[in-house]
Amino acid sequence: MAILTWDQSGQRYYETGVDRGVLYIPNGSGVYDDGVAWNGLVSVTETPSGAESNAQYADNIKYLNLLSAEDFGATLEAFTYPDEFNQFDGAVISSPGVIVGQQARKSFGLSYRTRIGNDVDGDSHGYKLHLIYGASASPSERAYQTINDSPEAITFSWEITTVPVAVTGLRPTSIITIDSTKVSPADLTALEDFLYGTAGTDPSLPTPDFVLTLFSGSQTVVTPTTPTFVPATGVITIPSVTGVRYRRADTNAVVTGTVTIGVAGATLVITAEPVDGTYVFAPLSDDDWSFTRNP
Amino acid sequence: MGQRQQLQTILVDILGSNNVYFQPPPSIQLNYPCIIYKRDDESNQFANNKRYAHKKKYLVTVIDSNPDSLIPDKVADLPLCAFDRFYTANNLNHDVYNLFF
Repeated sequence: MAILTWDQSGQRYYETGVDRGVLYIPNGSGVYDDGVAWNGLVSVTETPSGAESNAQYADNIKYLNLLSAEDFGATLEAFTYPDEFNQFDGAVISSPGVIVGQQARKSFGLSYRTRIGNDVDGDSHGYKLHLIYGASASPSERAYQTINDSPEAITFSWEITTVPVAVTGLRPTSIITIDSTKVSPADLTALEDFLYGTAGTDPSLPTPDFVLTLFSGSQTVVTPTTPTFVPATGVITIPSVTGVRYRRADTNAVVTGTVTIGVAGATLVITAEPVDGTYVFAPLSDDDWSFTRNP
Repeated sequence: MGQRQQLQTILVDILGSNNVYFQPPPSIQLNYPCIIYKRDDESNQFANNKRYAHKKKYLVTVIDSNPDSLIPDKVADLPLCAFDRFYTANNLNHDVYNLFF
């Protein structure tokens, strides 16, 4: 039997700070396939609500507590906001520099990072990534004041409400938090590549299902490579990518090496799929390509 | 031109002469009226876990033998400037201002 101890060296954890705010913009299908950096992020106050107990009585006793549904909201405070946020704040940019207010509001995604510190590593012990889905911003006050004898920039503040999104096997949720001290560094890097983008990919906010799959340790994220094509000869060169299998769409046959479109002007579609359940394609990655030989 | 040099230029314009001294050593011979200014403090605002915006605070002292000098008022009209105190020494009037620049 172990004896409990408190506040051991290296176990005096705390959380602090907020940075790396990213605003994710959904496309027409609701996929958060683009992200922009949020500069000047001052604070994010998470305000979950609900789960209120509703006592039920029977047989002259308190029989049970029914809990109301949980909701997630937040208050975001920043010195500034990206131009792309206007559309989520009820504003439309009719032409560059001209912003029309009181327009329809859209929902957006958000991520930010907070630090985990301890008595040994200080503030750099680790961090948490917070992913917010289905967020909507409410109008808020903007108190512009005269410049006086004390320099002070105004901070903007937005009340954020959320609509939970579906998660396989769990209740719908609006927030996922990733603790860097407890997950695989490789998986974390893979997620951050999505969240913050890479040299060849835009930032994006993966779905909760994808995030959970990524950290389940059972699947490896792969990105299919686009086959190369010579339109004059009709030769398609199929790349070799671990975890990816290519097929020709007309016969569904697996293809490797090169495939030639024999008839001038003909079109062939090549598709890609994970070879088995241990691989999953990165969100937003292209998995079918159409090639047409020159007439 | 650095920010401090910009302030120097503004103060020279206000004074109408080059008798503007930044943190002068005790050995320097001051010519009056003059403006002496020195670094005093800094105002910082933080975002994204680091300093996001800042302004340096200067202590600006206008020294003039004329008690009705208009130079202090011109300094006071600068943005982010606040009067701190007034005193006389050696028959010279000293107006001290806190200025963020």
